[in-house]
Amino acid sequence: MNLPEYLLPAADGVPWLTLLVLSPLVGIALIGLSWLLKLDERTIKTGVLAWTGVPLLLAGLIWARFDPNAVASGQGVVQLVERVPWIQAIRVDYFLGVDGLSLPLVLLTAVMTPVAVIASWGVSERVRAHLALLLLLEAAMLGYFVALDFFFFFIFWEFSLVPAFFLIQNWGREQRRYAAFKFFVYTMAGSLGMLLLFQLIYLSVRQAGYPTFDLIALGRLGQGLPVAGVEGNLRDILFAYLEQLGVTNALGRYPLLYSSIAMWAIFIAFAIKLAVWPFHTWLPDAYAEGPTAASILLSAVMSKMGAYGMLRLLLPFTPDAAQYFAPALAALAVVGVVAGAFGALNQVNGDIKRLIGYTSINHMGYVMLAIAGAAAAGEAGVAARASAINGALVQMVAHGLSTGALFYLAGALYERTGRWELSGLGGLRASAPTFAGVMGIALFANLGLPGLAGFVGEFFIFRGAWATLPFFTALAVIGLVVTALALLLMFQRIFLGPATGNPRAIADLRPQEFWTMAPILLLSLLIGVYPAPLMNLGNAAAGQLVAIFTRVLG
Amino acid sequence: MAFFLQNAWLIPLLPLLASAIITLTPIRRQAMASAWLATGLMMVATVLALGLLAAVAGGWALHHGELVQLAAHHGEHGAFAFPEPNVVQRLVWAPTGDTALQMGIYIDGAAAAMLAMVTITSTCIHLFSIGYMAAHPRQSRFFSFIALFTAAMLLMSMADNLLLFFMAWEIMGLCSYLLIGFLYERPSAARAAVKAFITTRIGDVLLLLGIVYLYAQAGGISFGNEEGGIFYPPLLERLASETGALGLSHAAGIALLIFGGTVGKSAQFPLHVWLPDAMEGPTPVSALIHAATMVAAGVFLVARTFPIFAADPTSLGVVAFIGAFTALFAATIALAQFDIKRILAYSTLSQLGFMVAALGVGGWVAAMFHLITHAFFKALLFLGSGSIIHAMEQQPSIQRLHHHDEYAAQQTAQDIRNMGGLRTRLPWTFWTYTAGYLALAGIVPFAGFWSKDEILLDAFKHNLAVYVTLSAAAFLTAVYMTRQWWLVFFGEYRGAHPVVFQNPDAPAGHAGHGHDDHHHDDHHHDHGEHWHEDPRMIAALVVLASFAVTAGAFNLPFDGPGGHWLASLWGQEAAKLDPLVAGLSLLIALAGIALGWYGYRNAFATATDTDPLAARAPGLFAVLNAKYRIDELYAATIGRLTASLATAWSLLDRSVIDRLVDGMGRFTFGLGKVNFIIDDTLLNDGPDGLASGTQGTGRQARRLQTGKAQDYLIYVFSGLLALAVFWLYVIGR
Repeated sequence: MNLPEYLLPAADGVPWLTLLVLSPLVGIALIGLSWLLKLDERTIKTGVLAWTGVPLLLAGLIWARFDPNAVASGQGVVQLVERVPWIQAIRVDYFLGVDGLSLPLVLLTAVMTPVAVIASWGVSERVRAHLALLLLLEAAMLGYFVALDFFFFFIFWEFSLVPAFFLIQNWGREQRRYAAFKFFVYTMAGSLGMLLLFQLIYLSVRQAGYPTFDLIALGRLGQGLPVAGVEGNLRDILFAYLEQLGVTNALGRYPLLYSSIAMWAIFIAFAIKLAVWPFHTWLPDAYAEGPTAASILLSAVMSKMGAYGMLRLLLPFTPDAAQYFAPALAALAVVGVVAGAFGALNQVNGDIKRLIGYTSINHMGYVMLAIAGAAAAGEAGVAARASAINGALVQMVAHGLSTGALFYLAGALYERTGRWELSGLGGLRASAPTFAGVMGIALFANLGLPGLAGFVGEFFIFRGAWATLPFFTALAVIGLVVTALALLLMFQRIFLGPATGNPRAIADLRPQEFWTMAPILLLSLLIGVYPAPLMNLGNAAAGQLVAIFTRVLG
Repeated sequence: MAFFLQNAWLIPLLPLLASAIITLTPIRRQAMASAWLATGLMMVATVLALGLLAAVAGGWALHHGELVQLAAHHGEHGAFAFPEPNVVQRLVWAPTGDTALQMGIYIDGAAAAMLAMVTITSTCIHLFSIGYMAAHPRQSRFFSFIALFTAAMLLMSMADNLLLFFMAWEIMGLCSYLLIGFLYERPSAARAAVKAFITTRIGDVLLLLGIVYLYAQAGGISFGNEEGGIFYPPLLERLASETGALGLSHAAGIALLIFGGTVGKSAQFPLHVWLPDAMEGPTPVSALIHAATMVAAGVFLVARTFPIFAADPTSLGVVAFIGAFTALFAATIALAQFDIKRILAYSTLSQLGFMVAALGVGGWVAAMFHLITHAFFKALLFLGSGSIIHAMEQQPSIQRLHHHDEYAAQQTAQDIRNMGGLRTRLPWTFWTYTAGYLALAGIVPFAGFWSKDEILLDAFKHNLAVYVTLSAAAFLTAVYMTRQWWLVFFGEYRGAHPVVFQNPDAPAGHAGHGHDDHHHDDHHHDHGEHWHEDPRMIAALVVLASFAVTAGAFNLPFDGPGGHWLASLWGQEAAKLDPLVAGLSLLIALAGIALGWYGYRNAFATATDTDPLAARAPGLFAVLNAKYRIDELYAATIGRLTASLATAWSLLDRSVIDRLVDGMGRFTFGLGKVNFIIDDTLLNDGPDGLASGTQGTGRQARRLQTGKAQDYLIYVFSGLLALAVFWLYVIGR
C-alpha cells in the first residue's frame, strides 16, 4: 500500500498496534480458559495481573520504536501505521497508528490497568467477569487511542462505555444503577451529534471526489494541508455540499457558521467525556458509585479520551471555529475549574470518592483551558501554543497517575474503615504512618506540587493559555488554591488530630499495596523532576498542530 | 577555586541526599544516626558554600569550564543592574514547541552570600535540634524534613530561572506545612499547617501568574543580562513602555504579581496571618526556619527580580508602602503578646517589612544586608527562646500540667508572664540572647544597627514618609524587645504559680481541674526547680551570637578594610555613613529601650498581674492582643464566602444540572428518531450501510444495557474471532 510521507509503517513489519489492542482480549480468552480449567480465583487474579504486563510490554516496545521528532508535510509523522481496506462500499479502512498526541495516553492506559487489577483484589463476587471487563475496557481504550479511521474510532469510543457501564452497575455501591444509567445516557447522547456530523462529512468529501473516514486526511483537509487526490480545505468542501443541498439558502452563506456547527457537535461529545462544565454531573456519581477499579480506569484514562478527541478531531477539523469560539470554551473550562474545586470543598465532610471526583473535574478544566488557549486568536507564537498542548498532555498523564493513586488509596482506606464518609474519621496517621505518607504524596501530586508531575502540566498550561487568554487564565488560579484546600482538609480529616475517630486505628499499608503505589508515584516524581522525555513525545506533533492558529482564521 | 565553582550544585544536593537517606533507608530507626547524618552533610555543604563565597568574592568565574577573573563591577548611578554571574550551568528541561526551556544554576554575589548565610544558620539549627528533639519519638522524620527544607532554600538561592525558583519555593511551602503540622496529634497544629499552606499559596498563584506573564512577554524566564535573559535592558525598556492590563505597564503588572508571592511567603500584610500560627511547629526549630529562613525567600525573590521592579517605579511604590505598613503594624501587635515565640514571630514580620520597604525605596544592598544580619540574630533569638522553653518545660509546675494536656503545658511554658529571673538560671542563654536582643533593637555595634541604619538612610534619602514609619517601627521594636528581655530574664521567677493556658481543643472535663491542681501544687512546691542548658544547643547559640555581634562588619559604611565588602561583592554602589541618620536611629533605639525598661521594670510581681499597658489603655491593649482581630475578619468574610460558594456550586449541580439530565435521557431517544428521519428522507442516497450499522450498534447497545455480562462476552469473542481471522488472512500473509 502506498502511504504518504506523514504515515510511516513499522520498519520491522510487525503489526504492533494490532497486537497491543488484541493482547487484553487474549487475556479475556485466557480467563475463559481458566474457567474451563476451574482454577481458583487467586490464581486467576495473579494470572490477569501478570497478563496486564503484556500490553505494558508492547506499549514499551512501541515507545522504543517511536521517533518523536519525525515531522513531515506540516504534521507529526504518524508511526507504526497499519492500514488495510475494511469496508469498500463506504471506504472504511482498518487504520491504526500512533503519534505524539496518542502515545502518552497509550502508555498511561497500559500503566494504569495493572493498578486497577490490583485494586480488584478485594472483589469476591463474579471475579472472572470483573477482570474480563477490566481487560475489555483496556482494549477499548487502547483501540480508541490508536484508531485513525472514524469508523473504528467511534466503535472503540462507544465500546468503552459497555464494560464501564457493567463495572459500575454490577460491582458498585448503593446508587450504582442510577450512576451507571446516568453515565451511559450522558455519553451516548453526546455522541449522537458527532455521529451525524461524520455522516455529513463523509457525504461532503465524497462529493469532492475523495470519500474517506480517514481522520488524518480529514484533519489535514481541515487545516488546509495538502492531501493527495483532493483540493481545497474541509470547510469549503462542507460548505459546497451544503450549498448543493440548498441548506445555505435557508441558513445563510457563512462558511464559519457550518464549521461552527461541526465544532460544537464534536465538542459536546468530547466535553461530556472530559466532564467539562456543564456536562460534568455524571462524573461524581460514576466515580463515586463504581468499584475502585472502575474509578481508577475511568478517572485515570477514560476521561482523557475526551481531551484526546479534541486534539485529534476538534482542533484540526474546524480550526477556524475553534479559534472563533476559544474564549467561550475557555469560559466553560474556567467555570469547570472553579466548580470542581468548590464541589470538592463541599465534600470535605462528605464522601471521599466524590471529593476526588470533583477534583478531577477541576483538573480536566485545566486541560480544556489549554486546548482553548492553544486555539485562541492572538499574537502568541508556536512556542506558547505548543506549551499549552504539551502541558495538557503532561497534565493528563499526571492526573491519571495521581488520581488513580488516590482512588486506589481511598479504596484501601474503605477496606479498613468500612466507610466512605470523611466525617468521624481522624488521627489515623499514628497507626498507619506509611499509609499517610503515601497518600500525602499522591495528594500533593494531585494538587500540583512542584517536583511531581501535576505541576509541570499546570505550569505549561498556564504558560500557554496566558499568552492568548490572560483573563481566563488569571481566573483559573482560584482552582489551584481551593483544590489544595479541599485535599488538605481531606487529609486532615483522615489522618491528623487526636485518634478519637471511629475506628481509632487501622492497619498500615501492606507491602502489596505499597508496591502498587510506589511505581506510580515514582513515575510522577520522575516526570516532575525531569519532564523532557515525556514532553518530547508530543512536542513535535503539538508544534505542528498549533501552527495554523498563529494566523487569523475564519 | 575552580573546585568550589565547579561543584556548587552539590550544596543543595547534600541536604537533599540526607533527607532521602533518612526517609528511605533503615537509618530512620536510629534517631541519633539520622540527626548526625543530616548535620554532618549540612556541615559539608557549609564548607562548600563558604568556599564558593570566597571564590566569588575573589572575582573568579567559570566560562565554558575555564577559570577566569571577572572585571570588578562597582555599580553606577542610574539603572539598577546585576554584575556578570560567576557560574551558569544549564540543561534542557522541557521542549516548548520550536524552543526549549533550560534549567540550571546561576551563581553571582547575591546567590553566594545567600548560600553561605543559609548553610551557616541551618547547620546551627541542625546542631541545636539534636539537643532539642532528643526526646521526641519522631526525631528522624524531623531531620529529614529540615534537611529537605534547607535543600529547597539552597536550590532556590542558586536557581537560574524563575520556574526553578518557584519550584524550590513551593517545596519549602510543603516542608513548612509538614513542620508546622509536625505535632499532628494536636488539632491546632493541623489547622495551622493548612492555614500556612493555603495562605502562602494565594501569594504563590499570583507569583505563578507573574511568571507566565513574564514568559509570554519576554519569551523566556532565565536570569541574565544578555539577550534572552530577563534582565536584558532593551527588554526591560519595552516592558516598561508598553501598557498591559489596568493601565499598568507590563513591567509593573509582572512586578506586582511577583510581589504577590513575596506578600504570601514573607508574610506581609494582608497575608501575614499564617506566620504567628506557624509557631505551632516544634518549638523553636521550625519557628526559626519559618522566621529566619523561608520568609527571607520572599525578600530574596524581589531582590532577584529587582531590575523588573526598577523598570517601572509604580511597583516600587506599592512595595515600599506594604513593607513600611507591615513593619509598623506588626511591631504594634508584638507589644501586647505574651507568648515568647509569637513576639518573635511578629518581630519577624516587622523586620521583613523593613527589608521590603528598603527594596521599595531602591535600597537593594540595604535590604539584602539586613536579610543576612537578621537571619543570624533572629535565628539566635528563636533558638534562645527554644532553650528557654526547653528549660521551662522541665519545671515541676509545667510537668504536672504535661501529664494530662501536653499542649497546654507547652503553651504555658512559652508565656513570658510565667518566666522571670532566668538570667542566673540560664546564663549562657541569657548572654547570647542579649546579643540578639541588642542587635534587633539596633544598638551600635551589633549587626542589626548597621543594616537597619542603611535601610533608614535609603528611606531618608528617597521617601520621607517611609522613613518616619520605619523609625516609629524601630522605636517600637526596641520597646517590645526590652519588655520581653526584661520579663524573661529579670525580676523574680514566677513560674511556680503560672498562668495556665486553657486549651480549647482539650477533651471536656480537664478544664475544670485547674483549681484542684493548684492545691496539689502546694504540696510539691519546693521539690525544687532544676535548670539545665544542653551543650549542643549552647554551641549553636554561641556561633550565632558571634555573628549577631559581628555581622555588621560585612558591610561597614566606611572606606578601608572590611568597608563596603558586601556592596562590592554584589557589584553595587556603596552607601556612606550619614552621621545624622545614624545618630537619630541610635537615639530612637535608646529611647525605646528606656521606655521599655521604665514601663516594665516593676511589672509582673506575679504571673497573674495585669500588663502595665493594659492597665493604662485596656481598649488598645485588647485590640493589639487580639491582633486587630484580622483572623476573625477573614473568617467572617473570606472563610464564610468560600463555604457558601462550595454549597452554592453543589446546589447548582444537584438542583439545576441534574434535573436536566433526566430530561437528557428522553432527549437522546428523540435525537435518535431525528437521526433516522434525516437518514430516511434527506440522505437516502447516502451510506445506507453506515446508517443501518449505526442503528444496529444502537440496538445492540440497548440490548446490552438490559442484558447480562455473559451475552456481552459472546459479543466480544465474536469480535475477537473476526479480528483474528482478519489478521491471519490480511496482515499476516
